[in-house]
Amino acid sequence: MKTNILKKYSLLLCIGMLIISGCTKDFEDINTNPSAYGAATFDPNFTLTTAQLTYTGSIDFAYDTWRGNLIYSSTMMQGLSTVISYWAGDKYLLNEGYTAAYWGSTSVGAYVEQVKPIVDIVEFTKGSSKYNNVRQVARLWKALIFERITDLYGDVPYSEAGQGYYTGNLAPKYDKQQAIYTDLLKEVEEATNALDVNGDKVTGDAIYKGDINKWKRFGNTLLLRIAMRLTKVDENTAKTYAQKVIGKTMTSNDDNAFVKHDVSGARVTQNRNSQVLAGDGGQENYYVKWSQNFINKLKSANDPRLGKVAVTGLFLDENTKTQNPNYSSDPVVQKGMPNGKDLSGIAGRDVRQDASYTTFPAYSSPNPAMIKKDGITFILTYAESELLLAEAAQRWAIGGSAAAHYANGLSAGITFLSQYDASLAISSTVADTYATANPYIAANGLEMINTQYWLHTCTMLDFYETWSNWRRSGFPILTPVVYPGNATNGTIPRRFPYPVEEAAKNGVNYKAASAAVPGGDNLAGRVWWDK
Amino acid sequence: MIYYYLLQGRPKYKALLKFIMLMKLACIMVFITCLNVSASVFSQEKISLDVKKTKLAKVLQIIEQQSSYHFVYSSSYVPVNKDVSITVTNTLVTDVLAAILNRTNLKYSVSAGGLIVISKNKEVPISGTVKDALGGVLPGASVRVKGTGIGTSTDVNGKFALNAPENAVLVVSYAGFQTKEISIGSQTSIAIVLSEDTKQLTDVVVTALGIKKERRALGYSVTQVSGETLTQARENNVANSLVGKVAGLDISSTSGGAGAATSVTIRGVSSLSQTNQPLYVINGVPMENKPVGLNNLNGNGNSGGQYDNAPDLGDAVGNLNPDDIESISVLKGAAASALYGYRAKAGVILITTKSGKGNSIEFNSNYVAEQVMDRTNWQYVYGQGANGVKPADAAAAAQVGGSSWGAKLDGSNVVQFDGVSRPYTAQKNNIEDFYRTGGTWSNTLALNKSFDGGTIRLSANDVHNNSVVPNSGLNRQSFNFTGTFNPVKRLTIDARMNYILEQAKNRPMVSDGAGNANYNVAFLPTSVSVNDLKPWKDANGNEIPYNKGNAYATNPWFAANEFINDTKRDRLISSFSAKYTFDNGLFLQGRAGRDAYTDSYKNVVPSGTAYYAPGKIVEQATKFADVNVDVLVGKPFKIDEDFAITPNVGASYRRTNVNQTTNSGADFAVFGVYNILNAKNKSVAYVASVAETQSVYGTLELAYKDIFYLTGSGRTDWFSTLATPGKDNKLSVFYPSVSGSFVFSELWKPSFLSFGKVRAGYAVVGQATDPYQTLLTYSLRSEVLNGLPLGTISNVNIPNSALKASKATELEVGTEMRFLGDRLNLDLTWYKKTSKDEITFVTTSTSTGYSGAVLNSGKIENKGVELLLSGQVLKSKDFVWTSSLNGSYNDNKVISLADGVTSNLIATSRPGVGFLQNIPGKAASQVMAYDYKYDAAGKVMLGANGAPQRGDLVAYGSAYNKWFAGWNNEFNYKGATLSFLIDGKWGGKLFSATDYYGYVFGLHQATLENREALGNTAATYYQLSADNVSNKFVQDASFIKFRQMTLGYNFPAKMFNNKIHGLNVSLVGRNLFILMKKTDNIDPESSYNATFPGLELGGVPPVRTFGVNLSVKL
Repeated sequence: MKTNILKKYSLLLCIGMLIISGCTKDFEDINTNPSAYGAATFDPNFTLTTAQLTYTGSIDFAYDTWRGNLIYSSTMMQGLSTVISYWAGDKYLLNEGYTAAYWGSTSVGAYVEQVKPIVDIVEFTKGSSKYNNVRQVARLWKALIFERITDLYGDVPYSEAGQGYYTGNLAPKYDKQQAIYTDLLKEVEEATNALDVNGDKVTGDAIYKGDINKWKRFGNTLLLRIAMRLTKVDENTAKTYAQKVIGKTMTSNDDNAFVKHDVSGARVTQNRNSQVLAGDGGQENYYVKWSQNFINKLKSANDPRLGKVAVTGLFLDENTKTQNPNYSSDPVVQKGMPNGKDLSGIAGRDVRQDASYTTFPAYSSPNPAMIKKDGITFILTYAESELLLAEAAQRWAIGGSAAAHYANGLSAGITFLSQYDASLAISSTVADTYATANPYIAANGLEMINTQYWLHTCTMLDFYETWSNWRRSGFPILTPVVYPGNATNGTIPRRFPYPVEEAAKNGVNYKAASAAVPGGDNLAGRVWWDK
Repeated sequence: MIYYYLLQGRPKYKALLKFIMLMKLACIMVFITCLNVSASVFSQEKISLDVKKTKLAKVLQIIEQQSSYHFVYSSSYVPVNKDVSITVTNTLVTDVLAAILNRTNLKYSVSAGGLIVISKNKEVPISGTVKDALGGVLPGASVRVKGTGIGTSTDVNGKFALNAPENAVLVVSYAGFQTKEISIGSQTSIAIVLSEDTKQLTDVVVTALGIKKERRALGYSVTQVSGETLTQARENNVANSLVGKVAGLDISSTSGGAGAATSVTIRGVSSLSQTNQPLYVINGVPMENKPVGLNNLNGNGNSGGQYDNAPDLGDAVGNLNPDDIESISVLKGAAASALYGYRAKAGVILITTKSGKGNSIEFNSNYVAEQVMDRTNWQYVYGQGANGVKPADAAAAAQVGGSSWGAKLDGSNVVQFDGVSRPYTAQKNNIEDFYRTGGTWSNTLALNKSFDGGTIRLSANDVHNNSVVPNSGLNRQSFNFTGTFNPVKRLTIDARMNYILEQAKNRPMVSDGAGNANYNVAFLPTSVSVNDLKPWKDANGNEIPYNKGNAYATNPWFAANEFINDTKRDRLISSFSAKYTFDNGLFLQGRAGRDAYTDSYKNVVPSGTAYYAPGKIVEQATKFADVNVDVLVGKPFKIDEDFAITPNVGASYRRTNVNQTTNSGADFAVFGVYNILNAKNKSVAYVASVAETQSVYGTLELAYKDIFYLTGSGRTDWFSTLATPGKDNKLSVFYPSVSGSFVFSELWKPSFLSFGKVRAGYAVVGQATDPYQTLLTYSLRSEVLNGLPLGTISNVNIPNSALKASKATELEVGTEMRFLGDRLNLDLTWYKKTSKDEITFVTTSTSTGYSGAVLNSGKIENKGVELLLSGQVLKSKDFVWTSSLNGSYNDNKVISLADGVTSNLIATSRPGVGFLQNIPGKAASQVMAYDYKYDAAGKVMLGANGAPQRGDLVAYGSAYNKWFAGWNNEFNYKGATLSFLIDGKWGGKLFSATDYYGYVFGLHQATLENREALGNTAATYYQLSADNVSNKFVQDASFIKFRQMTLGYNFPAKMFNNKIHGLNVSLVGRNLFILMKKTDNIDPESSYNATFPGLELGGVPPVRTFGVNLSVKL
């Protein structure tokens, strides 16, 4: 009897199993996401556009731009100044969340928003002739992305970064900055050479709309910038690579690389700096000003840029974010706000007790034409290129005259403002006249070049670059602010500490890297090239 | 054995083979037990026998030879040629006879002269009806002949018919009713009335697949809770009502306010990163219940992430109306839930809703008031300000809007953020002043109707809740229809529909401060009154911010009154089942169920919000449909009178469809108009997913008398979610189980013992995964950059094309004993559960490009003990004191993670210095924080500003509690009932972000130390101290709470001339007070997320409720 039951029972089970195995054929279709693309149907041009956009800042309310570029870099470099209490960088205070913002966490920041798509394009297009130019542009862009990450943090995951899907490595090692720089130089040189004017059209290119010649000049300029970063630690390599790009770099402001933003996509596509400086998240519009140091530099030199980049009376009331259309761009009334001040009511600290203070609207704000929500974010410019060439010429007497490059850089750094908005246009006649009136003096050439680089990158609102070049060159000489409780013993920070979350997510590699930072894993520690 | 050889060569069927072998083994075990059994009848003479396969006639002859007995029988009904094998030494003849005649329909009688007459046991047909006290029929009641395997169950009209031996005793039982034994004597037709039983130890429980079983037959632990215990002192989410009532259940509600989700964990966490929430099965149809949190991929709603700035959007189980629930069965272990295969890993909670009973009208009305309890214990020595001075002017006050680093509170006037001067004094009532007295009014009307051939029940319920949070609340209407029909003989049809409409108004935000009223009220400076933050907007409708130093510190009144976080749910849970039983007992059952809902969510950051003046809006529509179809075929076989065997085989199919459209907009064209078309920038997101699972399963139940029960089962699941296009990987997994129960009190029953059994079970269950985890895919964003599409990689986690289903094995042993005439009951279980090949979402460094990876990895173990001790402490004619104590202990350990992974991050606290991590060798979900940094001599190292430096990240213990206890007491005096429940949990840890911000904002009492001496740098010192050495925020989450109290009176029916059958009025209270806690400024149960405990911030303060419940039966 029992056997009988077992027989029937197992027979039924067998039949059931057979029936079901026949029904699982469509499981693969069921498990294919209907609102996504597989590798076969996808075009990497789409992800290239994303990577170009996210290099200008996070799509999630630009937390990296806000914290890395503005709260820290802009104020430490005395380009901007503020009394907002959480702008820790202005006072050299440590806010670990802010210094970690550029690196990012779970869904935002450089690694997930920039590295992930750009590494994927490079992998996706491996060995594909169909996407040769897309691939080379992606390699250049990848180098650009990593240059900034390593400049901010030092030794960082590079060779194994963004490779999660391709290698399965869940704990990328931190590469030495020296090794990263070596590879960046190699990559940029190779990719630039591999660009083919007769090759595939880079349809997703938001920078040059697929103009390969411009990309070649971009590649060479980028190579120059990467090389020049090494002047303190490895002058030979710097010189070797600078030598290679002579005559192949950008030739005018037309070659400037920038992303033009789009207001329609709200925070996803809008200009990152503008969102913050227009006060989308706080009272930045009212309380963030051009630094006293910056304005005074322009003022004392009668720089024609002063009447363009700075305005007073832009926001008259701290409670409204409506811009006053009758703001003044008269250079005479422009006034920067001192750094390191607050609203504490304590003498020596409260900006309202400073000699310069009258009202907040009387301090200069960035011109609203620079911070349009559909405005542009500059990536790399001809002016930077020329100033770097001037330094190369000065240092090693290569690539022509330092004075000529300096004059080109200075002039282009004035005329490029028109790319923000026609209202900021300064004629090349005015610029050239100014350049002629302020000629290059080789005796303090490096200071002159790098002070112009400082002014120019501040007006580009690319304060990351301002900070890196200042750390490399030491110019201009900045007087640190004195603020109680600062984290650097009163010195200007030289590096962002690693995100503490790495301790929890990539503990072993983090610990080793953190322990290896010269000067300690803090704001005062240094990256390799900043010895 | 033929199958063995047939199947041996095919690896695919190895599992099946294993199963068959297992069944065989089970049969052998039954035999062994049977052979040991003997009846006890008085007789003097003893004999020894050793016969093998000997004819019965011969055996009787041998007995006659060895003794002075003689047999009288007729070979017409005695199977004289039947082979008998028996070995006994020095055994009573009557015992030998009993053994030989066992499992035959023969009996014997011994006459004075040593003559033994063997005669035929007469079987008589008996039929009858089973009804409740009100005359309602009870379909599906179990009717069993005591001491045998003979039994049946009542049909839809409560009728039964069976053949029973003469003078048999019938045991009639029904879930929620007291079991009754009736001697049938010479009756052939019998009307049986059962009375209701609300105590926990009902004798019939609902088990997997909705099969009702006698508790004594179960080889595993099941706890059944009757619906009545959930309805008096009710909770908005019915799952919360189980707190403290079931051993082994860890229930914690989130601080998410009205409509928030609840976390239910059974026997510890068995999954490292997938859901640990049990499967809910309503009337046999599984219901998906993923609360908001870790595994909720909805971009809106609280996900438990560090930067969450979202409300708790609730769960699915919270929609149910407790008045419709007949009973809840908690299948704790794998052996109990094995038939649910891949959905059983975290345990199963079976909910049976009420069916029509008799002709009656029931009305229940319940009103409870809700009141917040302020758990903060801040310093009130220093007031708002910075650097030890009070604000000099309005601008300064606004910049330090959230800071209590000011001067000593001296009562002098100080200008505040709004330019108004007010005394600089302590404001201790901000919590009380901000929150209002909330209330919930719940009414249910139910109609029961029985007619020839069926019963129906119709109920309607309305819940109206005003939350303690201003401008927030929850409304729910639900309608329930249950119909049971018997259209033709032997066919039973059961149709159920539950239609739910739920609207939540302004679900409060949790965690971060932006738009979160709770956060901002909790951290207001000591000298600022929340009432002075009114008005919250200016004439133009813009927020008046109180804290300009942090734009994200939204004015709490603005957050509560202007933000919108509304949800609507329109849900239909329906099921239809038909069962046909043939004359020979073979039944065929088909069941189809569908749980479908449409959710709409509207989130608005209003125009004029300080941190986002242009405003933004999200309108999201989610359509969810889960279809479950199953068939079951079975037939009870009676091998002989004592031995019954019931095989069941079945198959099921599940298909889950989800699609979600999210419209987001920003920058309102017209100020203050909140619809998507008014947004200048719009984007759309669309997510669709389909998953299918197919399963076959079977069970084999063996019952020997009512002494020994054995059940084996096997199930194979095939998952679409494991399929990878282009790859041929294994899509299926086999889950076997075996369990047995031995009622030893049938054999050995000392006077103090009224019932005793031991049980054991072993099973393998599992867990599958979400769709689309196996392939890298790309998608396009809704937004474009000047016409260029923006492509992204869709996967957040690194996909894995080699995924396989995970497995968990569990062994449990237990005993159930009743003493002193059932006055004292004991139920004890030990279990050990090991999960492996876990499909884990491993959190990775973002430098991989991804926030995590999907892996089959890790091993986790739970070991524990559950105890239920209940009984009647005092019992007299009018007074009964019933008390029950349940306790459990769970020891959890993560044995390994993925290869090369030494720790895995689960979550990060908002401040970024507290973490939850899984670490091999330690219990799951370790609360991690930074220790001091020590020098070689062990001295604390100090850094800038004299603050301690940051040391190592240290694990301070699991976020899950280890010890749980609940103590229920009920006192009955005549018609009056007083009951209370005290419950507690011990051993868990909690990272208090509230305390962290208490430090940073200068609110925490500990920040008083050295404040004067530190002067200007006090704030920086304490900020550094909080950031660098965060271990001081790791708190002991242990507590004891006075959870519930009710005082009620049952008015006797005769008071109303029996026109009203029942009237009960009760005063009820829940969460009345805390008897023990170890947290400084928070409730130890605080959590902002339903999928993992251990982190808290910015939730709704704990709420005390009290009110009245009225229940009428007409």
